[in-house]
Amino acid sequence: MSENCLVCRQVTKSYGNKEVLKGVDLTIEPGHIYGLIGRNGVGKTTLLSIMTGQNRAGSGEITYNGQPVWENETALSALCFSRELSPTILFGQNTLKAKEYLKSAACFYPNWDASYADFLIKEFGIDKNKKICKMNKGMMSLVTITIALASGAPITILDEPVSGLDVYMRDRFYALLLEEYARSNRTFILSTHIIEEAANVLEEIIILNDGVVRLKENTQDLIDSCLYVNGLDEVVDRAVSGYERLNTEQMGRNKMVCIRLKPGQSFPTEQYRGELTVSAVPLQKIFVYLTRQAGEENGYASFNDRA
Amino acid sequence: MQLSDEKSIYLQIEEMIEDQILRGILLEEERVPSTNELSRMYAINPATAAKGLNLLVERGILYKKRGIGMFVSAGAVKQIVAQRKSNFYKQYVVGLAAEANVLNITKEELLKMVSSAMEGKTTL
Repeated sequence: MSENCLVCRQVTKSYGNKEVLKGVDLTIEPGHIYGLIGRNGVGKTTLLSIMTGQNRAGSGEITYNGQPVWENETALSALCFSRELSPTILFGQNTLKAKEYLKSAACFYPNWDASYADFLIKEFGIDKNKKICKMNKGMMSLVTITIALASGAPITILDEPVSGLDVYMRDRFYALLLEEYARSNRTFILSTHIIEEAANVLEEIIILNDGVVRLKENTQDLIDSCLYVNGLDEVVDRAVSGYERLNTEQMGRNKMVCIRLKPGQSFPTEQYRGELTVSAVPLQKIFVYLTRQAGEENGYASFNDRA
Repeated sequence: MQLSDEKSIYLQIEEMIEDQILRGILLEEERVPSTNELSRMYAINPATAAKGLNLLVERGILYKKRGIGMFVSAGAVKQIVAQRKSNFYKQYVVGLAAEANVLNITKEELLKMVSSAMEGKTTL
């Protein structure tokens, strides 16, 4: 089962006395596109860097193909973590040029595909001689995307690949990713905050919340399992009893409850036709409901409600 | 081409292929787009596209030729029409009646509306 899988077992990490990862269990299987989502500061980048041996776990183990990843050249050459570039580095501006990043990537990844990299550079209009500190955010993202796609690594991780891209380039990126995926069947993990537009591309969603994997599920199954039930409050209450509730909103007598079906469970929409409106829940909303912290259950605080 | 957020993507793929068969865009015994072609066209994960196609295979509307792809079964048009007919009451008529009840539209009024709609009138 563990063949070519990247596995985390009880991975923890603390920065000072702040425990960021509290025991992450996660198995990445070959041949899928995963989406890692989680709120800011939840430790997505920390987890991804630990999974690829760029950062040390506090405790727990990370294995690829059954072998520990840490300082293991064979495992590391199969994993690509294309980090976000930064216009500044330790001692000032990042004056490295795009071509220097590409050159080191070509050395590092044994499956590096130089002709594919050239194609992407041309496609994205990357000026190889431009210094990173002189690039805009979108251009930096395109450099990291080029490195990730051309790395040829069996497991390739892209951290916030679309964050600086305009709508056109985001579309272009998803199309190129799907094309490369269809061609190579490599595994990709994308971390993203732009959930809705990535939903159709991601086969599985991994939600990291409060230091652990809150959920790992097929994207379409997750969307199918959540429903809004909307109508007169008494009718809604009766209809949703026995179902897991993710969210409740009430305005006057109108109530809208988001329920989550367990595997094999269904909701008798037909029975309530004319009385209740049952509709799909956008993935982004499911994410909001599943990642709320204590004190956020009743929705957002309003400045108008201050005492 | 654009898919909506209203309905599961794989169900939309299933329905779209059905529609194309009914409209004569895809003919019986003809190859349908592969999962990778659908993935590219709609920018969706190929596994999701495959799920939609497999639903049609399970229903016998498509069949697999190993190593070549998926094809429209002979008699697919007839089968789709028959299945949609059997769903028609549940899918459209029950909802129509329920909405008519909410609006206090009488049975006679509703029947009159239906017959005028079937005559092709777009307004009453």
